[in-house]
Amino acid sequence: MQNKAFKTTMVIVAIAVALVFLIPLFWMLATSFKNDFEAITAGIKWLPDTPTLENYLYSLGGTESDVPVLKWMSNSLLVGISGTLIVLVVDTLAAYGLARLDVPFKKTLISMFIGSLMIPWVITFLPLYMEFNKLGLLDTYAVLILPYSANAFGVFLLYQFFRGFPQSLEEAAYLDGANKWQVFTQIVLPSARPLIWTLAIFTFMSIYNDFLWPLVTTSSPEMRTITTGIAIMQQGSFVSSPGRLMALTSIATIPAVLLFIIGQRALIKGVTQSGIK
Amino acid sequence: MNKANRKSQLTSSLFVLPYLLLFTVFLLIPIIYGIWMSLHNWDLLSPVHEFVGLKNYLNIFDPASYLNNLFFTGLKNTLLFVVFSVPLLVVVGLGLALLINSLPARIRGLFRTVYFIPYSVSVSVVAIIWLWILDTNSGLINQYLQKFNLPVIAWLTDMPWAWISLVIATLWWTIGFNMIIFINALNDVSEELYEAGALDGASRWQRFRFITLPSIKPIMLFVLITSTIASFNIYGQPYLMTRGGPGDSTKVLLMNIVDEAFKQRQLGSAAAMSLLMALMMIIISVIQFRISNRKGVE
Repeated sequence: MQNKAFKTTMVIVAIAVALVFLIPLFWMLATSFKNDFEAITAGIKWLPDTPTLENYLYSLGGTESDVPVLKWMSNSLLVGISGTLIVLVVDTLAAYGLARLDVPFKKTLISMFIGSLMIPWVITFLPLYMEFNKLGLLDTYAVLILPYSANAFGVFLLYQFFRGFPQSLEEAAYLDGANKWQVFTQIVLPSARPLIWTLAIFTFMSIYNDFLWPLVTTSSPEMRTITTGIAIMQQGSFVSSPGRLMALTSIATIPAVLLFIIGQRALIKGVTQSGIK
Repeated sequence: MNKANRKSQLTSSLFVLPYLLLFTVFLLIPIIYGIWMSLHNWDLLSPVHEFVGLKNYLNIFDPASYLNNLFFTGLKNTLLFVVFSVPLLVVVGLGLALLINSLPARIRGLFRTVYFIPYSVSVSVVAIIWLWILDTNSGLINQYLQKFNLPVIAWLTDMPWAWISLVIATLWWTIGFNMIIFINALNDVSEELYEAGALDGASRWQRFRFITLPSIKPIMLFVLITSTIASFNIYGQPYLMTRGGPGDSTKVLLMNIVDEAFKQRQLGSAAAMSLLMALMMIIISVIQFRISNRKGVE
């Protein structure tokens, strides 16, 4: 009896907490469909009196509004996807090499990579900026994509997995005359697919949502990512228009939330794996 | 035999080479380059950088230098945010995980997703949403306060409300991550321990205190350290929500480093500040690790 009352109470608490998480997002959506007069003066309106698409049309209007939202979105996607692909390719190769192959100086490399996980990111921030500055690569896609590839997190995650992977399958393939590359691509990679997805979503989200790095390394409006672009709009011409700002943030948020819900399982698995070690 | 070995080592090296190259160019070299920069009077626009030895570091510790104020005021504000946010990030994260686990199994996944959703949006979206909710005149919260005849609050321009606002936005944004880690940790606690506890007539609280907490201690330490590091790196929330205000009271260390580097164009002293900040972060992590481990021995 007492147990049932406890369960019911918990469900009610859980619903209340869920509202705390959802109301800000709902309020963003509601405001994005209001005209500014209504948003600012009409009091608490959970749904707009006169719903309008004006804010979305303005934000997506391109030249007319001089807000290249679609360009920013495509920049973010391009940077996120290519950054993630580079990480996946180099990390899986390195992790497998270190876990299974006769790489010279293996122990040194492993401790160096794992040790680098403890180095706060702020150490490399300014020198990396100078490096790209000297190479003349500021305000390009290179500066937005490449620095993320040095992170050893993925190497570490996959290394752990490959170490625990049963060796018998690989040995059988070698006996059949397969070379390292074939064993890697045809046997090892397919088995690591779930973990690779996890790493992919993790990496994509951290690149897509990064703020300070793209903020300081890009300067031209058409090189902005969506995250930095909307921050600049917030401090610039959209500052007095909650409706337009909320339309802009809704446009930026909806793909991220959808991707997140789809990729949630893999992400949760990744959090677990990074948490245990 | 030897030749075959060499050849094998060579092909094996090719697997590690691409990552090693990126690691060297984008991590190893910048670390050394950063130390080098911090030893120079490094004006961003000047082509020549004068070697000044440890002067940038000495200036940071010299009360007469503006760098002293810049570094230590920023550090104080960052540490305040760490102190305000980290205990909540750990305790609320664990609380939500316990809440989820006490729900009927079929609805757990749904609530877990809902609590985790804000984690997927970027800091600028978080800031814009919360700025609008906390707006002094048209904000949702102040409108409700007015409705109940309560005094409105200047959430972003009064102290301590500015800190409270930053902590609320941060919790809303990132707490789901810690919750997921705790849910996994709770699920790993052995059922047998709970059954033994139930047989001994342990209450819900006693089971939590004497079975759950000791079992998840290593994960708590992990969450504590990662949350501390994340809070130390705070930038976007105060940059976008309070602009460091009121006055300079929420201007955190990273904001001062960015200003010194890109407004004053002094990359040398900014690099020195970054290195000291990183050193602080490493020391604090080690201390947290040591203290928790010592308690474990008792």
